[in-house]
Amino acid sequence: MKDPRLSRREFMKTGCAAAALLAGAGKSLATKRPASRGPARRKVLVLGFDGLDPHLADIWMREGRLPAFRKLAALGGYRRLATSIPPQSPVAWSNFIAGTNPGGHGIFDFIHRDPKTYFPVFSAAETVESDKTLRLGNLVIPLKGGKVRNLRRGRAFWQVLEEGGVPATVFKMPANYPPVKSKQRTLSGMGTPDIYGNYNTFHFFTTESQAINEDVGGGEIHQVYVIGNRVDAKIPGPVNSFKKDRPVTAIDFKAYLDPSHPVAKISLPGRELILREKEWSDWVRLRFPMVPTQSVSGIARFYLKEVRPQFKLYLSSINLDPADPALPIATPASYAEELARRFGPFYTKGLPADTSALDNALLDEEEFLAQDEQVLEESRAMLDFELGRFDDGFLFFYISSTDQRQHMFWRLLDRRYPAYDEALAARFGDVIEKTYIQADVLLASALEKVGRDALVLAMSDHGFNPFVRGFNLNTWLKEAGYLAFKNPFKKEDLEIAFPSTDWSKSKAYGLGLNGLYINERGREAEGVVAPGAEKDNLVREICRRLEDYRDPKTGEAVVLRAYQARDVYSGSALENAPDIVLGFNRGYRISFKSPLGRVPREVMEDNLGKWSGDHMGAAEILPGILFANEPVLAEAPALYDLTATILDRFGLEKAPEMVGRTIF
Amino acid sequence: MATEKVKIPKDLMDKVRRLSVLSGYASAEEFIIHCLEKEIAQVEESSSEDEIKKKLKGLGYLG
Repeated sequence: MKDPRLSRREFMKTGCAAAALLAGAGKSLATKRPASRGPARRKVLVLGFDGLDPHLADIWMREGRLPAFRKLAALGGYRRLATSIPPQSPVAWSNFIAGTNPGGHGIFDFIHRDPKTYFPVFSAAETVESDKTLRLGNLVIPLKGGKVRNLRRGRAFWQVLEEGGVPATVFKMPANYPPVKSKQRTLSGMGTPDIYGNYNTFHFFTTESQAINEDVGGGEIHQVYVIGNRVDAKIPGPVNSFKKDRPVTAIDFKAYLDPSHPVAKISLPGRELILREKEWSDWVRLRFPMVPTQSVSGIARFYLKEVRPQFKLYLSSINLDPADPALPIATPASYAEELARRFGPFYTKGLPADTSALDNALLDEEEFLAQDEQVLEESRAMLDFELGRFDDGFLFFYISSTDQRQHMFWRLLDRRYPAYDEALAARFGDVIEKTYIQADVLLASALEKVGRDALVLAMSDHGFNPFVRGFNLNTWLKEAGYLAFKNPFKKEDLEIAFPSTDWSKSKAYGLGLNGLYINERGREAEGVVAPGAEKDNLVREICRRLEDYRDPKTGEAVVLRAYQARDVYSGSALENAPDIVLGFNRGYRISFKSPLGRVPREVMEDNLGKWSGDHMGAAEILPGILFANEPVLAEAPALYDLTATILDRFGLEKAPEMVGRTIF
Repeated sequence: MATEKVKIPKDLMDKVRRLSVLSGYASAEEFIIHCLEKEIAQVEESSSEDEIKKKLKGLGYLG
């Protein structure tokens, strides 16, 4: 049977023919640049190392630890790459994808808010369930499928490439879930959920009673009992939306413990696996039955942490099965299936490293790294594969480990960290350096394989900073008189979305990781601040007071820059923009509680967690990196300039909403 | 409408009758249905809050 996918040559023919047809009809979508600018390279490779920080790269390049990056800098150019405001990954990568600032693509934070409810909502995607259903007894049969919608606005640059007849492969681009419509090969990245629709949901089965019923973020702990060397347990699945009462599906399994050795046999429907203590399983396919003709397939890996004295079995997030994804993760859909056929199951969840399990001490540092090495190894193999067939066009490849490991291991770089641990630092204090070296090895391999005729860009979306102290924005607003509780004697509110707030007396509130909103009349449900001069004056006043605020413990400024949205955003997608964006100083970040609308008692708190490196600071102190194998002329390039550069390289004009300029 | 017998303590039922008249409900039954609907809506809303919390907490950035 003929492979339904287009070959590269066929793609080009079809794409060019389509472009020609449209041009003939007087409706060209992508404009070709005049050919007189000379022969451009027809291959562009972009390696995206999430969070690779120029300060650290400089140190290790000087010490000769990053020879491939150094070589690239000497061969072409090396610059700080201006990041987005704020420097959050979905915002920054969207700047790159759409070639605009957030005012053009409409993604301002991981979390936006609904002004009618003051409730946090996801910024990147929304799921719309089917509203046309047929009820048969206890069954609800959808007559028309529900939808997942990517909320980013503007065109992705590979859509412009497609219109110009340039084939592209875009591997795990963050903020591209669900992947936008395209004939190009794309696999969605950060933002791709697990089988429950969550960012992370591990399962931890244990006999250890003190670990039970803890409110752990990003996972569930299940109490199990060993009876006669056997454990009976259930893996919860997604909600069964085919049934009226929407029960949670589940798969029963048993673990048989070897009576004399630290070994267990995990028995699942249709599959058995034997694991030694401290051993990871291969991928296990889990099929959750819905109705007789429908099931949802996911993939996960077990890790047998301990057999005795306590039984501890970890199950990774259940990833969407690339061979049979329940949600859209690729274009064409066959691309994910093709990779699955070639490589077997692979991590599809946006950020696969289980930072939650490490943060909650359910996986230790070594175990966390072992899992993230699986992710890196998979990516390396797939990059080799894509480079092997990269003969023309554009290839983007994304690496998440650089970001995730910096988040979790920054605490072991500096003794001043509340979470610094001498013994752990001796073992894992070099994890970040080793990760940069791994990135360097990957770059060296790519440079060797891609050939001399390709333009190569190695870039990151932002840098990294320490996160030592957390700022409770809503507490600050309350103390400064901008947010009021209904009960004036109440000191704190740890529920989400401001249930104790008296909106009739509140002028501003914080939601998301960097956002501050004015309680504006006509926009917010119970807004009190008039738009226009009253609001403008208030914004200026709050910005000034935020920048003047000092951490009582250190005397340092907490907010380095309070940006007014009107000064930093432009475009047609401004409706979800915060009124003020907080750019934190080095060492500071929003607290863990404030982003969902909680109001803790104290304004400042130590960060005691393992999540210790971050990038919520002022854009000026968090640039990413840009390395190119050609001299870079732009002195201060920004993420959206790379978009313009890529299109320019293929002789295509950028889309009207794109704001960048070529760096060469 | 389904019919189900529910036992309500006498004191409470007396209050329901009294307050339903005072609050302008057409009957005690209407008052009870309204109270149940309000309570159920609140529970449903809080479970959607839990759902959002659960989803967002996996982000890492929120602890």
